[in-house]
Amino acid sequence: MSPSPARAGVVALRVIRQLKRDRRTIGLIVFAPIVLMTLFGYALSGEMSGVTLGLVDGGGHAGLRSHIESVKDFDLLHLGSQSDAEKLIAEGRLDGAVILRPEEVRVLLDASSLQISGAIAAAVQAGLAAEKAGQETVRPRLGAESSVESSIVTRYIFGYDLEMMDTVGPAILGLVVFFFTFINAAIAFIRERSQGTLEKFMVSPLSRVEMISGYVLGFSLFTLLQSATTLFVVTYGFKVPLHGSALTALAVVLLLGAGALVLGSFFSNFARSEFQVVQFIPLIITPQIVLCGIWWPLQSVPEFIRPFSYMLPLTYAAHALRAVMLKGAGFADIFYPDLLALSVFFLIFFAAATLMLRRELG
Amino acid sequence: MHPAISAQGVMKSFGQQRVLDGLTVDIPSGVTYCLLGPNGSGKTTFIRAVVRLLHLDGGEMSVLGRPVSEVGEIYSQIGYMTQHKALYPDLTVQENMEFYAGLYGLSRQLRMERQEELLEMVDLLEHRSRLAGALSGGMYQRLSLACTLIHEPRLLLLDEPTVGVDPRLRQTFWDYFGRLTEEGKTVLITTHLMDEAEKCQRVGYMRAGRMMAEGTPEEILRLAGLRPLLKLWLAEPQKDAALLLAHGYEIEVVDGVVQVRLESHAQIKDILAAVSPLDMRLAEPRLEEAFLRLSEAA
Repeated sequence: MSPSPARAGVVALRVIRQLKRDRRTIGLIVFAPIVLMTLFGYALSGEMSGVTLGLVDGGGHAGLRSHIESVKDFDLLHLGSQSDAEKLIAEGRLDGAVILRPEEVRVLLDASSLQISGAIAAAVQAGLAAEKAGQETVRPRLGAESSVESSIVTRYIFGYDLEMMDTVGPAILGLVVFFFTFINAAIAFIRERSQGTLEKFMVSPLSRVEMISGYVLGFSLFTLLQSATTLFVVTYGFKVPLHGSALTALAVVLLLGAGALVLGSFFSNFARSEFQVVQFIPLIITPQIVLCGIWWPLQSVPEFIRPFSYMLPLTYAAHALRAVMLKGAGFADIFYPDLLALSVFFLIFFAAATLMLRRELG
Repeated sequence: MHPAISAQGVMKSFGQQRVLDGLTVDIPSGVTYCLLGPNGSGKTTFIRAVVRLLHLDGGEMSVLGRPVSEVGEIYSQIGYMTQHKALYPDLTVQENMEFYAGLYGLSRQLRMERQEELLEMVDLLEHRSRLAGALSGGMYQRLSLACTLIHEPRLLLLDEPTVGVDPRLRQTFWDYFGRLTEEGKTVLITTHLMDEAEKCQRVGYMRAGRMMAEGTPEEILRLAGLRPLLKLWLAEPQKDAALLLAHGYEIEVVDGVVQVRLESHAQIKDILAAVSPLDMRLAEPRLEEAFLRLSEAA
């Protein structure tokens, strides 16, 4: 039998009718691309603000100094010595530092974010170029002896140069777990509803808290497997350094996974089918990918969106995983704010998921 | 003894639609009770209200002697089988049963015993290792029933439990329900099958969220004015008809066949003492007819 346009038309009409009654899909079709393009557009525009930069003025390079001071995206902190700068960078309180000396310019960078490092290095280059141009105007013939020619010494505080994958890898670990746990949990809860098991649970001694907890526990096993595998691939496959303990990294991922599970359970209340769960990806998952600081630093997220970044669990997980893997941070180092924030996120959505189970049956 | 379920004027609406409209019923303990009614009459809503899966807008209800607001504390005494069957298709028959046994905290020993007994009753012993998703519709249904019974509930709420089950096995179910009621347990069943209703000790006929008629099947028939009909083929129909009329029987002669409307089956003996039919047949009234009449009357 040959393909019939009429039959295709009948199918098309049916699909249109179905979609017309599904407002969520209509909403997603229209608004999700707008939201996504806006987010990507801002985040990829490359403008940074809120970069904290230390400045140690050891003399000379007035042109460079005034250039750096004029960059409005840098929060400048004047420091007494290079060692102060190194200490603050190691503690994560500075993104980098510029040490001005008559004979050289030293640039200290926090290697865990290549974009920030790049922005600081670019600013120093631009400053030196401006300084050189200024000097040439005043003393056009001095040329080679000028201090502008003094070398730029760049040093990464953690002692190695990092590639993109090194900084992105640890965060990807979190992303993978978050994505799969969220989707799987949401689908699992949809199935509990559609196959009637949820209703049966409700009429059993099993409490709602027990049910969600059971899910968290059951999923944790798979989260552990999944994150151990991913960690292995990231460290051995992509040679991303693991300076801290693998167990600490896994603990971070487990906490993140638990948060993703309760979030999935919570959002399953707003979907009626597995199909609709998939529609959550652009709404729930993508903003996290864009705004959590995996691909580009939080400093490049526009300031009015940045508070939103700090509400997303992946932001804290990515930060903690980078600290553990790249800086060798221990449990105590990442407790505040990362582990605390992940715990608070988990608890809030645990409560929300539990309450929603009740409401659904109201 | 308090009734297993007592509902007094219960109300429930979904938006503008009133699903339970002042429903009043007492379901005694230790009986099989059949809730009959057309689709949308409120049967499932009533059962869900009993287990507090939804909150009533008005009226009073008690379950196993406790106000419905406290029913959560006696969930371990209730077995609830939904129309959805509530099984995990990706678990085996045995794993499904173990899961539900685990929910109710059955000891290992008791769990094993109950599993054997119930799998035998629902005729799934040989299929215990099969995935539930690979079972036929009827088998799935049977497994669901077995899972509902695993913790020996005092009150069983079964929403359409025999759909897709073959007649032989259906009889096994009814025999099992009979044994449960002998142990003092209560079995509440919803169905739209009249022959199932006739097997219950008590029947309630629901329509538009109200109880239209309630009682034993015999009481319902009487309420609808339906009685057994004895058809007699007689050598001299006119003469015998006059004789039976003289004895006070309600008779009608149709195509030479004398039809006697009986008050009770005991009357048959008296009738046969008065006349000697060539042939006879007894037509029992059907509940279906009774409900049709009651519906029309309403």
